[in-house]
Amino acid sequence: MLLEYAIVAGVLFGIFYAYLAIGLNLTFGALRIVNLAHGDLVMLGSYLAFELYYAWHWSPLLAIVVAIIPAILVGGAVYLGVAPRLARASDPEMMSLVLFFGVSQIIEALATFGFGSNQRSISSSAFGKHPLAFLGQSYPVMWAVVAATSVPVLLILFAYLSRTKLGRATRAVMASPDEAAAVGINVRRISALTFGIGVALAVGAGSLAIFMLGGVTPTEGVSITVVSFAVIVIGGLGNTLGTVVGGLVFGLASQLTLTFEPNWAALVPYVLLLAVVLIRPSGILSRTSRLA
Amino acid sequence: MPRLARLRRLGGKANGASGPVVGRISKPASVAAIVVPAAGFVVANIFYPNQQELVMMMVYLVMAQGINVIYGFTGYLPFGYAGFFGAGAYGLALSVMYLHVPAELGVVFAIVAAVVVAMLLSPLLRLDGVYFAIASLAATEALYVVISNPSLTAITKGPYGVNLIAVYNSNASFIAAVALVIVAMAVAVYLRSSRFGLALRAIRNDAVSAEYAGLRVVQHRAAAWLISAALAGAAGGIFAWYTSTFYPDAVFDTSISIFAIVFALFGGVGTVWGPALGAVILFGIYNAVGISEPQYFQLIYGVLIVLLVLFLPGGLAGLARHLVAGFNRIRGGAGRSASPLGPRTGDG
Amino acid sequence: MANPILAISDLAKSFGGFIALDGVSLELQEGEVVGLVGPNGSGKTTLINVVSGLYAPSRGTVTLGGRPLHGGPPHRVVRSGMNRTFQVPKSLGTLTVGENLRVASAHGAQRRTLEGDPLELVGLAGLERRFANSLNASQQKRLDLARALVTAPQVLLVDELGAGLSPAELDDAAGVLRKLAAAGIALLVVEHLMGFLAKVTSRVLVLNAGQQIFQGSLEEAVRDPQVVQVFLGG
Repeated sequence: MLLEYAIVAGVLFGIFYAYLAIGLNLTFGALRIVNLAHGDLVMLGSYLAFELYYAWHWSPLLAIVVAIIPAILVGGAVYLGVAPRLARASDPEMMSLVLFFGVSQIIEALATFGFGSNQRSISSSAFGKHPLAFLGQSYPVMWAVVAATSVPVLLILFAYLSRTKLGRATRAVMASPDEAAAVGINVRRISALTFGIGVALAVGAGSLAIFMLGGVTPTEGVSITVVSFAVIVIGGLGNTLGTVVGGLVFGLASQLTLTFEPNWAALVPYVLLLAVVLIRPSGILSRTSRLA
Repeated sequence: MPRLARLRRLGGKANGASGPVVGRISKPASVAAIVVPAAGFVVANIFYPNQQELVMMMVYLVMAQGINVIYGFTGYLPFGYAGFFGAGAYGLALSVMYLHVPAELGVVFAIVAAVVVAMLLSPLLRLDGVYFAIASLAATEALYVVISNPSLTAITKGPYGVNLIAVYNSNASFIAAVALVIVAMAVAVYLRSSRFGLALRAIRNDAVSAEYAGLRVVQHRAAAWLISAALAGAAGGIFAWYTSTFYPDAVFDTSISIFAIVFALFGGVGTVWGPALGAVILFGIYNAVGISEPQYFQLIYGVLIVLLVLFLPGGLAGLARHLVAGFNRIRGGAGRSASPLGPRTGDG
Repeated sequence: MANPILAISDLAKSFGGFIALDGVSLELQEGEVVGLVGPNGSGKTTLINVVSGLYAPSRGTVTLGGRPLHGGPPHRVVRSGMNRTFQVPKSLGTLTVGENLRVASAHGAQRRTLEGDPLELVGLAGLERRFANSLNASQQKRLDLARALVTAPQVLLVDELGAGLSPAELDDAAGVLRKLAAAGIALLVVEHLMGFLAKVTSRVLVLNAGQQIFQGSLEEAVRDPQVVQVFLGG
């Protein structure tokens, strides 16, 4: 059945999209920094997975783990380097957008030098050749792998945010940096760590993106950023749990249109994003919604 | 910030009766700003063999001024600015193909198409800076998906692109581009010196405060948005006319928005000359290094953006202002005790 | 008694489920000054925001010179003859002082209500060429006031003019407000500093938790048990 297939695919892609986008939501929600290089970090993660698999014969999924420490170190250092200057700008949020847009261009150019502009992909037979049967339909085994990877990653992130001291401090910074500072939280350190975690999540998601998006090219960053933005806007900015909802809505909408109106499927992320920002503006519009 | 404020104050003092450092520009300076760039392109066309490069440079000058109008004067940064360019290109193409209008009139259709798109997108102006930037990008991508859609091939030629070879005229379209440069520079001069421009600057400072100064904030922003769209639409139309065959991805390419934004930021937004100089200098570099190896240029402007944001948020114009203010400080410092204006404009 | 220039009737405002303002009514005559007092969060600034059209009211009406205002937008309220200042001054920072006023007079002014130079009046004479963001906090407040005055208001809502001013500046500010009232402008003055308020008016409206708990003279207010309870108990 076409519809069943689309729904199962939508849910699986939805979980993947949630993983893809959650790093962006973490940095924007907690730091009010729009990391427009998010998609490019995902792209780098895909190349990392590719290299691990073909050069080292490791599982591409190990990229998720391998990336954590370097991503936190590099991301944290970048944050500490740029945050003070951004804070002095008249409109830090907007300046962060432009700044990371520049970073995105740098990463894209360097990736083209390093990896060439041809698409690279990993054969899905990396995870076994037999398709999975579910409710009388067969599905690529890769999908199960993606779900089995994304769900634990998201659960670990939620556990970190709700159960650990650092995670709770992160949520305090998300709610109000000033009040967090007032109760003795080292906002600067937590922010740097959070930015690093956002980078690590983006790079990790790249190990799945190379399968789910059919490969990787150095120029795919911008479209991944737009998709991620659509997902986090649908779910609510700064709302990490909402990102899962956003991912599912987005996954279902895109798979359903892909199944029934393939020519127009490419419209889905854009239309959803526009519809949400214009129609359901709660938490999305500025405080002086009437004038802004 | 305090240091900047002090520099400005001293600069204003040294300027004496001619007004504050940032303010209205004089009549000869206005005329020069409007005439000089256009004259430069006309002269360059005589000596420089590659006319297409000059046309592209003019197109980007206009696009950078369009970004100046909407970002420099209202603070809205449209990442999807290329949407108006594409709308203009298709406005001209479709009017020439189906209405058989001459290309000169097609430019008018290009402007109309871009303005119509801008009107449809005007609800985006309700959004905050970041949301606006991303939403405008999404809107442009959506427009691209529609125009290039195989389902609409009968109307738009879909992904296969359009062919306007019947109206191709390199000299006429070159002249149109020169005329458009004059218009774009005139718009920048107007915004720098008119009541309308002052109102936009007030709104950019603080929208609530501007409302209580009696300003119709929404209408002013919308007007700037439409002017900015009209410039990009005209640029897209003239580009379509000059190249005469193009694919949809060539006119809706995000890198068109990127170039326009980077050129404007590099030169300095909110000024008359900044975006024009930014476009001429950076597009010149692009032609020297970028066309054969676009990644090199991408790397250069990526680094440039980062450096601009971190160290030179005012662009070239900001740098020039710093230098002028520094110079005036040296001069003003020496002449301070002699200046009758000194005590009066000092801290009150 | 003449018709009031400003009539607020049963005004209410809620944000989501939170009731910020509930059933406030007030009439102001030309040249009359009323102090608006109450603890923090009692709805004073909300009242000013609703009356001046920044927020639409949830209930109730605002009538200016006999004509209902229907809740904004602010530029229309300004052109009808009412303006306000802000607790935290909102200068147009990258504009000069002169440009700040030029914007307001070009777009907001309908008729003159004041003789003389507004900058002179608020004590900013000679600073026309200064950028607004180079002014100190007290000067920015005065610029805020001057910009509002340039729009020729018949009613002016003044939000905490006194906060952060030195004693000498407070005297000046009180003098300015008295001058405005003498010129016929009706003033609603939000103020924490009772000493300052006593210099400009004898009539107050007391808010607590969005409700109007007292309206009358300042002397009666300080003897009113409910008012005393709110100020000393809170």
